[in-house]
Amino acid sequence: MSKKMKIVPCSGIGKVYGLIAREAVLKVVHELCPEKSETVCLGYIVTGDKEVKEKMEGRECITVDGCPKMCASKNVSIAGGVVKEEVKVMDTVKEIKSKNYGTATRLEADGEAVVNAIAAKIAGKIA
Amino acid sequence: MSDAKIGVISCSGEECLGGTISRLATRKVLEELKPKEAVTLCLPLFLAGGEEERGFAKVFPTISVDGCDKLCAKRGTEKYSGKINGSIDISKIIGNENALNTKVVRNKDLKDEHIQMINKVADEIVKMMSGIDPTAGKPCGCCCGGKC
Repeated sequence: MSKKMKIVPCSGIGKVYGLIAREAVLKVVHELCPEKSETVCLGYIVTGDKEVKEKMEGRECITVDGCPKMCASKNVSIAGGVVKEEVKVMDTVKEIKSKNYGTATRLEADGEAVVNAIAAKIAGKIA
Repeated sequence: MSDAKIGVISCSGEECLGGTISRLATRKVLEELKPKEAVTLCLPLFLAGGEEERGFAKVFPTISVDGCDKLCAKRGTEKYSGKINGSIDISKIIGNENALNTKVVRNKDLKDEHIQMINKVADEIVKMMSGIDPTAGKPCGCCCGGKC
C-alpha cells in the first residue's frame, strides 16, 4: 500500500474556490511533491466502496476545501482517513485579495496566485 | 429549488483526465449550452451536506457524468439522493486510454484535442437532456411513467 501523503481537494463545481482547491492539490501531487504525495478521487471516496475504504483507512491525509461545507474533510473522515491538516481556500483568499479570481471553469491570474500559495503551503507541510 | 430544471452531477475525479473532462463538460453545459435548463451540485455534498442536498435527485431529473467506468457519480447519487434519469460514462466516448490518463489532469495541461473531448461530452449531455422532460415526475419504478 502506498505510503504517500494523500491530498484530497473538494473540487467543488459551483464556485471558483472549488477549482482553486483542485488545481492546488494537482500542482502538489504532479509538480511539487510527486514522490511524497498522491491524490484520491473524492467521488470514489463518496461511494464508500470497500476498496477505497481500505485505501483510506488509517492513512494520513491533507484535505483542501473551497467552502464551509468542508466536503473533502468530512468525506475523508467518513472513509476512515486521518485528516492531519484541513486547508481552507478562504484563508489564503483573504491573504491575496482580488475582485477576479476567475470562475469554476477557468482561473485568472489572481486565482492562479492563490493556487500557487496554497500549493506551496501544502508542499511545506509534507517536505 | 425550481423543479423545471435538469440536474447534472459530475464525478470531477482528481486522479485522471476523465474526471477533468467530466467537470469541464458539465461546466460548459451550465455556462454556455443550457444555462437556463441545467443545475448542478457537488457530488460529495450528498454525504457532507444535509437533507436539502440529499433531496437533489428527488427534486430534479438528474444525469450523472462519470470520467471512468467506476461510475462514482452515478452510484453516489443513487446511493444518497435518488434514482437518476440518465448516465454518461466518458470512457465510452473518449476511450479508456484517454479517460484513465493520469499525466494530463490539470486545466493548464489541456491541449486542443482535450478541448474537443470536452465539447463532445458536453454535446452528449445536451443530447441526453433533450430526451428528459424537466417537468415530468421522477421515475418511481412502476409502469406509470412518473405519473403516480
